Amino acid sequence: MIKLPTIWRCFQGVIPSLVASSDATGMPNITYVSQVYLIDDNHVALSCQFFNKTRRNLDENPNTTVEIYDPVTFQAYRLRLRFLRSEKSGALFDTMSMRIQAIASHTGMEGVFRLIAADIFEVIRAERVDGFLTDAPPPSQAEELSVGGLRTELRGLQLVSERINRADDLETLLAAALDALDVYFGFHHTIVLLNEEQANRLVTIACRGYGGGVGAEVAMGEGLIGTVARERRVLRISGLDESLRYGRAVRRSVLSDGGKSRPEIPLPGLPDAQSALVIPLSVEDRLIGVLSAESRDPMAFGEWDEAYLGIIGNQIALGIVRVLEADEPIVDIAPQPRAPLPAAVVPPRPRRTLTYYKDDDAVFLDNEYLIRNVPGRILWKLLAEWKQGGRTAFTNRELRLDRTLGLPEVKDNLESRLILLRHRLREKCPEVQINSTGRGRFALEIAADLELVER
Amino acid sequence: MSQKRLQSWADAGTSIIVGTVDAEGIPTCCRAIALSTKDNFDTITVYLPAATAQETVANVATTRRVAVSATRPLTHESVQIKGVTRGVRLAPPSDENFVRTRLHDFAEVLEAIGLPMRVTNSMSHWPAFAIDISVEQVFDQTPGPKAGNEIA
Repeated sequence: MIKLPTIWRCFQGVIPSLVASSDATGMPNITYVSQVYLIDDNHVALSCQFFNKTRRNLDENPNTTVEIYDPVTFQAYRLRLRFLRSEKSGALFDTMSMRIQAIASHTGMEGVFRLIAADIFEVIRAERVDGFLTDAPPPSQAEELSVGGLRTELRGLQLVSERINRADDLETLLAAALDALDVYFGFHHTIVLLNEEQANRLVTIACRGYGGGVGAEVAMGEGLIGTVARERRVLRISGLDESLRYGRAVRRSVLSDGGKSRPEIPLPGLPDAQSALVIPLSVEDRLIGVLSAESRDPMAFGEWDEAYLGIIGNQIALGIVRVLEADEPIVDIAPQPRAPLPAAVVPPRPRRTLTYYKDDDAVFLDNEYLIRNVPGRILWKLLAEWKQGGRTAFTNRELRLDRTLGLPEVKDNLESRLILLRHRLREKCPEVQINSTGRGRFALEIAADLELVER
Repeated sequence: MSQKRLQSWADAGTSIIVGTVDAEGIPTCCRAIALSTKDNFDTITVYLPAATAQETVANVATTRRVAVSATRPLTHESVQIKGVTRGVRLAPPSDENFVRTRLHDFAEVLEAIGLPMRVTNSMSHWPAFAIDISVEQVFDQTPGPKAGNEIA
């Protein structure tokens, strides 16, 4: 009998598996199952999402055959199974349910398709389907980590850890962590979102490989990322495209039956991602944020990636807490008058108009939306003080003490709001910049003639 | 389901799988390459690779009952046909081109969702067994609330 761990790729859900069952009268039933979950050397689980014919057959005849496929070679394997029991709670159920919840949420189908039970089977026999392919690949061998590869990854972990520990502000910390994930681990598309507890949402605070995206929001519980945040459990999906096609099939069926659903949630990252690994960033029982990695390779993430990304995630979460909660130095910065530049070196300055709309709590740049809410109020405060007295040096501490900004008294996420503001200014208004001048301090740098309008 | 829509399940590009059960009640499955009908699904013929279908052929020789599922991989639309075997035969050489073309068409569909054509085309497909089936029931099997509804 083939040892199941040697054909682990078949259990990643990339190619749907076949399930044959039979009722008590001997009438067969054949259908697909999106994933066969490998429990151990002798047990697998199938997801029960609808009370369908297969499920009814199991109660009449526990014998079942499943055909699974290696997504790389397409080699088929048949597993002869005997149904043991259904689990409706517990660790296995939660793990299997998480994947379905995430896909259901992403496709606007929460509650319509969900895991009803994890059906547990004993594997009586596992055999390769000889002759399935005309040019059959050699029998699968368990892939083992090479010592060289392990050393590289351990070295990578060490470097990520060092970089995170060295960073003294959030932007540096996240940039260093995502850079190291890219360089040492080959995670080329990554996003970090921070938990905005009071708003019940997550805000993208750093990303790599997407060419932008900072500031994008995900509601708690929505889509892959929101589900991970709500459940605080790791989600690893191979064959994401196949899973989404399944979800969309359910959605079409529901809509054609007169049902309703909300629109599908756009993936926050790659539109053609084939696999995703999303981990919650937590410290004790507090959700700090979410780290998401995506790939166009359907088999990009395995159990090993999940393990070490989890370690890195813990490091990032602790690092975020450290920099966000670090006592800031009490720095008294007196307003400084603007020093006029010598006429000979003054370059021509563009004119920009910034307008603050009180009712919308939003700042527009030359009639185009720039930023709103707390980051918008911070920008307006800085610009107003610069306009009045020429002040350019500021501290985080004074922002925290300024009640007009509306920062919460605890967990104010000021650092993340400043990062958002910096990114928006870099993208939309390079003539106005906010640059760090040390821990808890920053400078407003202006290279335009600004008109400030308040409405 | 209209006859025209039912007929479309015999078109190229669908994934066809077959379920049978032996005399001891042990079910098995087998991937088929092609499905045809000459009488609007009163009867169908499914073609299974001889290399992988021995168990299925042995089952239908004893229990005769068959379940055939046809699925469009891009959309997961699916039907399941339940019926009784009328006969099993080695497919004649005149059917080889039909079977080969159906495999190629299926490979094109799978390529659109990421499985390279050379991989699908490497599936055994000839020689093939042809199983002739009298159709008794057809069920909607598309995932969702209507799955399991009888449609013909």
